[in-house]
Amino acid sequence: MSAQKLHIDSYERGWMIFSAFLLVAFAVAVSVAAFGMGIQVPAPEQRVDPRTVATDPNSPWSNPGLREVAPGKYDAYILARAVPLWEYLPKELTVPAGSSVSFYVTSSDVQHGFKIQDTNANFMVLPGQVSKLTVKFDKPGAYNFICTEYCGSGHGIMYGAIIVTP
Amino acid sequence: MTQYQVSAVEKKFIGHHILVAILALAVGSLFGPLQAFEHAGWDFYTYLKPLIKSYYQGLTVHGVLNALVWTTFFIMGFLTFNVIFGLKRPLKNLTLNRVGFWLMVVGVVTAAIPILANQATVLFTFYPPLKANWAFYAGLTLVVVGSWVEGWGLFLTYRDWRKENPNERTPFVAFGSLVTLLLWQICTLGIAVEILTMLLPWSLGLIDNVDPQLARTYFWFTGHPLVYFWLLPAYISWYAMLPKQAGDGKMFSDSLARLSFWLFLVLSTPIGIHHQYVDPGVPPAWKFLHSVFTFGVFFPSMMTAFTVIASLEHAGRKQGGSGMFAWIGKLKWNDPAVASQLLAGILFFFGGIGGLANASYNVNLVLHNTAFIPGHFHLTVATAVTLSFIGISYWLVPYLTGRKLWQPKWAVAQAWIWFVGMIIFSNSMHVLGLLGAPRRVPLGLAPYVPAEWNSRLFQVGLGGAILFLSGAIYLVVMYKTATNKERVETEVEVPIAQPMQDPANGPVWLDRWAPWIYGALALIVLMYGPVLFEMIKNIALTSPGFRVW
Amino acid sequence: MAKKNKGDDEFHPTGTIAILAIFVITLIAIWTTIYMILVGRGGTL
Repeated sequence: MSAQKLHIDSYERGWMIFSAFLLVAFAVAVSVAAFGMGIQVPAPEQRVDPRTVATDPNSPWSNPGLREVAPGKYDAYILARAVPLWEYLPKELTVPAGSSVSFYVTSSDVQHGFKIQDTNANFMVLPGQVSKLTVKFDKPGAYNFICTEYCGSGHGIMYGAIIVTP
Repeated sequence: MTQYQVSAVEKKFIGHHILVAILALAVGSLFGPLQAFEHAGWDFYTYLKPLIKSYYQGLTVHGVLNALVWTTFFIMGFLTFNVIFGLKRPLKNLTLNRVGFWLMVVGVVTAAIPILANQATVLFTFYPPLKANWAFYAGLTLVVVGSWVEGWGLFLTYRDWRKENPNERTPFVAFGSLVTLLLWQICTLGIAVEILTMLLPWSLGLIDNVDPQLARTYFWFTGHPLVYFWLLPAYISWYAMLPKQAGDGKMFSDSLARLSFWLFLVLSTPIGIHHQYVDPGVPPAWKFLHSVFTFGVFFPSMMTAFTVIASLEHAGRKQGGSGMFAWIGKLKWNDPAVASQLLAGILFFFGGIGGLANASYNVNLVLHNTAFIPGHFHLTVATAVTLSFIGISYWLVPYLTGRKLWQPKWAVAQAWIWFVGMIIFSNSMHVLGLLGAPRRVPLGLAPYVPAEWNSRLFQVGLGGAILFLSGAIYLVVMYKTATNKERVETEVEVPIAQPMQDPANGPVWLDRWAPWIYGALALIVLMYGPVLFEMIKNIALTSPGFRVW
Repeated sequence: MAKKNKGDDEFHPTGTIAILAIFVITLIAIWTTIYMILVGRGGTL
């Protein structure tokens, strides 16, 4: 039997090599943003029990809100819930411009989303898990955070805001 | 020239798949425009109250019927045809395939009951702890199991063919179909485990709680390759049928077409975590690894783009076309099967671009769960796939029924109207997503919508209206064709584009199944094994169910 | 049917390359636009 080699047309070979280079270039650009500029996706932070996370006095989400951990640095504990009503607790946070805020968000019922408009904070919120990302707010203004995952009939009204004061 | 005669009973059996598919498309597509109209501020759901309780019940019907039922039934019918016609032999065991088909039908009905009763308004992703009626999960299981059984029937048919033809190359349309079915058998394990170990016992009250993070991971194990289960049948048509229809073109590279199908088999499952980049419970290292492999699965799509366009160029030049682009005009645009698939292919370029952006790890932070996502998949599953299937049906239905296609001009118009409507709809959805608009929200009512979104929301509604018109024309053409008194004189010729090089001269390893299957399984174990092992080891069954719709 | 197609070996898919070039330019332009939005919004750690 004669050797049957893979025949590739020269134009197509050129295209395949080019495609491979292009994809590598995109992968490099993504890596630079992730590992060079610190634009990262959420990592496992903490596990909680969604049945008690909002009521257990030892849970930060029994008293959600802003904690200043250092000058200009804040931790924001936010509870997303569909029951009894679709809302975030707290619904509004106020920080001065230049603040760096780490968001710790969890759910006491179904899956939710959390996306702060005009920032890179955009993640899933799952019962039993804590989602964390950090945002530095330089420009004053109101930044809505909205629910981005279907969580029942009130999904479309579920939002809150971060007020960045000058 | 005579072509292989598919038996009348098999034609009827394939036709039943297409019939169920089109019925699902008809009902499901009624609700698509209603979502779009709502965005533009025209809320028709208030008038549907006694029957359909909410926007989300409508969205569930739309997603389940269009994305799952229309596609799965059309695909099983089309692939069954390809295997029979490609191998030139009847089904080994028609009864087995019939059992599979009826399991699927019973599954659809079982799932439809709770959906229509507003007991399963969980959308087509059914993320727990939203808890649907058990019949919804049982119905989906039956659909998947039925498709497995049909797949087994086709594998058995192939095994007999192989025994009788040990040294022949598998004909391409059969080859591509069998790879697609194999991919489906492997990847649906995720959803099967999710439903059978968690959602079904939970909805039946046998267990109290589930682990939503683990459930999502199982879901996306199936959820991404599902995209290729939709897409590969369209690719089969684009590679091996469309060039013939477009102007008697030949398939530019049979070997690379086969190689790209193998790469899809190997690469499309172990990348599912790219749907979970912003999940809290998945380590970023795995997310990054899956993103690298997702770039990898883009490669066979780039190969496909080349081979398909080159085959079309061959057709165009054969028809006397010349120049850099002028040959495009020589393709048979007045054939509705051609026009539909060419237009589907053009929009798929943009579907591919959006998909690559979604898949790009942290770039997903800009796009995740925004309106960009439905904008994207309406170019892929709702156009590249759906408009191609529509195009296929324009020759397949006359072939199966022996009835002439009713008013081909209307069919051509239908494809163009879809094209225009989808450009308007999906462009505005993509832009809205980049502006920050979330998906799955009745944006006409959402309190946080800024004025700058309004013109785009209007375009969503406009696009939806145009798509509705196109869908209506399609249904009329199909109905009129199925009941057409005018019959075709001779059996419709099945379009098969011959490859430029004889496949028998291609490498043998492109026709060997075992190495590719082992490779696919090994990669799945490597890419999913550790992450699933950790999740199962640390399983936290802490989420009770909620019915908040 | 009169066949006057040149041998398939002589077929050079130049139109294909032209179409794919347009595709690649569009791909790079759109992808880079979204990437720049990401980079402009800054780090998340």
